[in-house]
Amino acid sequence: MSEKSIRVENLIKNFGEGESLVEVIDGASFSIDKGELVALTAPSGAGKTTLLMMIGCVEEPTSGTIYLGDEKVYDNKWLTKETRKIRREKIGFIFQAHHLIPFLTVLENVTLVPQTNGISKKDSEKDAMELLKYFEISDKANATSAQLSGGQNQRVSIARALANKPEIILADEPTAALDLKRSVDVVKMLKKIAVDQNVAVVIVTHDEAMYPLCDRIIKIENKKVISTEVNS
Amino acid sequence: MINLAQKDIAHSLGKFIVTSMGVGMLLGIVLIMIGVYRGMIVDAQILLNDLDVDLWVVQEDTLGPFAEASRIHESLKETLRAIDGVDKAGALTFQNIQLPATPKPVRVVAVGFDPHGSFNAIKPERIIAGRTLQRSHYEIVVTDKTGFKVGETIKLGRNNFKVVGITKGTVSSGGDSLVYISLKDAQELQFSYSNNRIRNDKARGIINRDSHMVNTIVASLKPGYSNDMVANAIRRFKHKSVYTKAEQKTILTKNLVEKSSKQIGMFTAILVAVSTIIIALIIYTMTLEKMKEISIMKLIGIPNSLIIKMVVQETLLLAFIAFIFGNIFAYLIYDKFPKRVVLEMPDAWMLLIVIIVFAILSSLIGVKKVISADPAAAIGG
Ligand SMILES: Nc1ncnc2c1ncn2[C@@H]1O[C@H](COP(=O)(O)OP(=O)(O)O)[C@@H](O)[C@H]1O
Ligand SMILES: [Mg+2]
Repeated sequence: MSEKSIRVENLIKNFGEGESLVEVIDGASFSIDKGELVALTAPSGAGKTTLLMMIGCVEEPTSGTIYLGDEKVYDNKWLTKETRKIRREKIGFIFQAHHLIPFLTVLENVTLVPQTNGISKKDSEKDAMELLKYFEISDKANATSAQLSGGQNQRVSIARALANKPEIILADEPTAALDLKRSVDVVKMLKKIAVDQNVAVVIVTHDEAMYPLCDRIIKIENKKVISTEVNS
Repeated sequence: MINLAQKDIAHSLGKFIVTSMGVGMLLGIVLIMIGVYRGMIVDAQILLNDLDVDLWVVQEDTLGPFAEASRIHESLKETLRAIDGVDKAGALTFQNIQLPATPKPVRVVAVGFDPHGSFNAIKPERIIAGRTLQRSHYEIVVTDKTGFKVGETIKLGRNNFKVVGITKGTVSSGGDSLVYISLKDAQELQFSYSNNRIRNDKARGIINRDSHMVNTIVASLKPGYSNDMVANAIRRFKHKSVYTKAEQKTILTKNLVEKSSKQIGMFTAILVAVSTIIIALIIYTMTLEKMKEISIMKLIGIPNSLIIKMVVQETLLLAFIAFIFGNIFAYLIYDKFPKRVVLEMPDAWMLLIVIIVFAILSSLIGVKKVISADPAAAIGG
């Protein structure tokens, strides 16, 4: 029996109220194991980002329960004032755009969150350099994002998401801007990370070509969440 | 921990420095304004300090001779000498005249004193060329800023005056250059009339205008006498206004400079307000430009305190660098001004404190932006 990394029960999310009420998620219940790579897919506007941001303690749900690892973080309300602390300690975020801080170097971008978590400059830089080596970009450690190519920036942003040794990686359409070969590379890399680091990885993608690389597909249909195993 | 302010500034250093220089120039002008005021106070007292007498006797109910016009008869000098405690007494005149210089006339204040009298209005250490007045007629000592040289002649009224000496740093209470002429010449210039006027007056039956008038009689006291006591004695018997040196100083610095100080104070306050608004605007735009990065940082879990620290540190650094530039700017240009500008460190420190306080307040605008930034907005769309 594998360990649960994310567990969501009866999660509901509405935007607005009264006339302008928009129901996005209406009672989602699912769980994701450590080491598992899950694709989250649905048509545009169906609520993928919203769901991801609720798991990531960024967007507050309307009601329900969220567990991250052993910790219950949401039970009809946030159970901690410091959701940002959960984010920087447990979660790695990857986006479609690299969203690196332009006035920081590659190395500073990757060490910012670990240093905020209290890791020393020396240790965080040592860890970061290992990650950058893994992504074959350690020679650019002192460059800024403006000096890197799109692919290089994307790799740095993945390194940043891993730098705080997260329990969960949430990736919102990380391959949307990439060609097929690069997309496959990124997803394979995330699968390897999921296994090697024993973390749960959720990636939002429309690209059916990615499905065989994932362990499971979670779909949002009519505001409900449906989970299907991938048998490849 | 990574210092975000330092990294951000280093990333756009040129822009940051140019911006600080701009604000610095404003602060430099603030310092110059304060310096103009300080200069006025110094100027106002130069003549008073050069003369260094104990009592000033002027026309009754006037604040003369500097703040108000005063006319008084020269013979009062002899009467004063008879008063118990008075050591020496002398007559002085002050008048605005135009020196016929090229390319255009120079406005100066002429001090008239008796070269053979008890007081020499020219402090010896002020003379940088030539000598003081020695004859009772047609000699003039001028301040270097008038541009005249020793040996030149200047036509004043009906007579030619020979420049016998040059002084440095001598100005009237209003900041105009001083020239010195003998009391007799001064009286003739101030109180005598043209031949035509005399003829006219005679025809109207006005004869023998008294030209033995002066603007003030000054006196120094014998040791052991108090200024106030002797001043009271003169007031009682002579129906004159009498001011001690200290009172004259108050008149000069308060009554004479007060209006100007309010004027300059207003200017300074407005400039400080403008500088503050500009700093606030700069910080606001600098924060606005970073909204995307701020949202991202919030999203990946960077606490507000770290981001706020960045905004506040950048504001403080901007204010401080602007202050340094302001001082450099002020010191580069202050002696180019026609009137005296006195830059004093305490004024600069005051300005620094005011600017830092206002900078902290204006950084709150940026801080508010940081707190309200939506982390989800970073990835919006
Ligand atoms: N802050 C918000 N206020 C109101 N409606 C929102 C907000 N954020 C998202 N929505 C709505 O929620 C729905 C899901 O959005 P989103 O999660 O971004 O979809 P997806 O990522 O699947 O394209 C959309 O209809 C969107 O308009
Ligand atoms: Mg989306």
